[in-house]
Amino acid sequence: MATETQSPPSGTPQTAQRARKPRRLVTALPYLAPALLLYLYFLVYPMLDSVRLSFFKWSGFRTDVPEFVGLANYVRMFTADPVFWTAARNTIFWVILTLAVPMVLGLLLALGLNRQMAGRNLMRSIFYIPSVFASITVAAMWRWIYNPTLGLVNQALEQVGLGSWAQTWLGDPKIAIYSVFVASIWQAVGFPLVLFLAGLQSVPQELVEAAKIDGANALQVFRNVTLPALKPTTVVVVILTIINSLKVFDLIVGMTGGGPAQSTQVLALWSYTQSFANHQFGAGGAVATVLLVISLALVVPYMLWSLKGQDK
Amino acid sequence: MFGYKKVLAVASAAAMALGLAACGGSGDGADGAGDGKSLTIWQLTLDGDQATAWDALVKGFEAENPGVKVTTENRAVDPHKDALRQAAGTDSVPDIYRYWGGPGLGGELIKANMSLDITKYYDEYKWADSLTSVAVARSELYGGHNGVAFQESSEAIYYNKALFEKAGITELPTTYEELLAAAEKLKAAGITPMEMGGTVNWHVMRLLDALIETECGAEIADKLNQGDGNWGTEPCVTDAFVELKKWGDDYLNQGYMAISQDDSSQLFFTGQAAMALEGDWFGPQAVNGGMSADDFGIFAFPTGTGRIYGFGELLYVTQASKNPDLAAKFLDYMISEDGQAKLGSAFSVISANKNVAPPADAVLANEWSELVSQATGSYLNNDQNFSTAETGEYWRVQNSVLTGSISPEDAGKTFQQWRDANG
Repeated sequence: MATETQSPPSGTPQTAQRARKPRRLVTALPYLAPALLLYLYFLVYPMLDSVRLSFFKWSGFRTDVPEFVGLANYVRMFTADPVFWTAARNTIFWVILTLAVPMVLGLLLALGLNRQMAGRNLMRSIFYIPSVFASITVAAMWRWIYNPTLGLVNQALEQVGLGSWAQTWLGDPKIAIYSVFVASIWQAVGFPLVLFLAGLQSVPQELVEAAKIDGANALQVFRNVTLPALKPTTVVVVILTIINSLKVFDLIVGMTGGGPAQSTQVLALWSYTQSFANHQFGAGGAVATVLLVISLALVVPYMLWSLKGQDK
Repeated sequence: MFGYKKVLAVASAAAMALGLAACGGSGDGADGAGDGKSLTIWQLTLDGDQATAWDALVKGFEAENPGVKVTTENRAVDPHKDALRQAAGTDSVPDIYRYWGGPGLGGELIKANMSLDITKYYDEYKWADSLTSVAVARSELYGGHNGVAFQESSEAIYYNKALFEKAGITELPTTYEELLAAAEKLKAAGITPMEMGGTVNWHVMRLLDALIETECGAEIADKLNQGDGNWGTEPCVTDAFVELKKWGDDYLNQGYMAISQDDSSQLFFTGQAAMALEGDWFGPQAVNGGMSADDFGIFAFPTGTGRIYGFGELLYVTQASKNPDLAAKFLDYMISEDGQAKLGSAFSVISANKNVAPPADAVLANEWSELVSQATGSYLNNDQNFSTAETGEYWRVQNSVLTGSISPEDAGKTFQQWRDANG
């Protein structure tokens, strides 16, 4: 039978390939080792040490010996820290909104800017430029835009007769986080835009043409051809978006400092504040550890799911 | 089973996520020499008049002490705090460091054994005879004497004379009720009574501190701020927060929570706000901002206790100093009439030396001198009274009341609950 003659005997290239993998690793190690050692010492060790610190009470002074307090920092954080839950809620909220708005907007812009049209490169640059600005610069700019008396937004509303809509955009706890998020969209949309634009170059045009010949409309082509082809790009964008959202820090610091009344506080900033402003390094470590757990809980399952089958 | 690529990918993701938890750092500063001939001083970053005045002070000391070399290291506020924190317990500490007073800020370093008790130098140089009583008190908060007053900063209400006149205010307020009446008159005249910048929490905090002093009186305020007073049970605390809310709703500039104190100061400089609760450093700023020194005056926040609001900064000798005698000699020169003349009014109008009159050219020199001399004592800015974490919660409660998310009635209880849980 044909099927029998095609069965691979033992010692086939597949088995040999498996055997070669460890050898490849051994060959690669001398090249990897220097960077790996630096990475372990300067990145992994401080990370783990930060987790260790979360079980201690320490003011940061060398003269103050850290006191082991077990889970006390966590208990206090969950039960007696009035800012933690606000920060946690804002962080999750920020992740969801960032996945929903700038990412989708980036994809739509990429689809639009992937077409042949006049001024395409100029428009690509215009949309991408904000993402190369330092966040602190963006914060300073938007703080001015939101200035309650002299700012662009309120002035513009006054000019068009909508003065009653003017707000203290960054001073009202009910809207401050949204105001900061708008600035974030402005800055962040360029990043997914560029990645999706790159991803669109890899969509096989013959498949698109074939789908069109088969009578698929634009939406069907997008859903059945473009979107599956963009899967690797989407994985990267989603993971990086989640990580960037979880560690949002500088834009909040620059625009509100976490205020008013801690209403725009997020976990990364609260961890920093507890450690370096409040000098409670154990409490700061506990917040950072919670952030780490949330990060892993969000990123790892998604990564495993999205990479399924890619080793084959 | 996970494939090779998958494991690497997951490991990378874990490492990236772990990065969120990473924080740390260390650094060492300069060393001191035990030769009796050199001093290292950690000072904040100075510029303009302050840098010139400090250099003059150092050169004056070196001229009086041939062969002595004083080295000043300057850092911005936060790096200065970090450097001291990291150097504590090592040989890297300087001989002298500049730091704030108060149980919260200054006290933290004293608890960490950074500061040397210099009572013997107070006795040897008879500093208590030349320093003001407030300045001496700053050094006595922790038992013995720690530090010597480097500058005394007093705070009061600046007022725009023309705007007061326009609103029909003929007498400066001497009671809190009169202050409210004046604010009401200003508001009726279409003038913003007082400017504040809420993004820097400590600016609005000044108003709350003054209201606590007003509503509670000196004794209870001190218990609340520095002792074992209960913020949740003192009725005066609620009264203070009610008043704070009233100021926020009626008398502060619109949108104050969204602007910094630098921005709000412009409202005073440009005649858009009639009052500012500021320190003696604000006069020169107002002049630089375009006002004439004749355009404005000052009066104490009328708390009814007779105490003046303010804070001190001190120069502390470190326990690890290898030249404590020389450090004390420098401090003695610093507060001497000669040393104070070198500093002039660059750091503050009012000298820590009671025998030194304010420089004639200092803005509002006589007015500040009169206010301080009339005061029966002083009360501190609460960010000096409290630990940094406690200050953060104090600000959160203050801002929550102002933005309406905590009622004035619940404010004291909320703060006390935090103190009980985190004390």
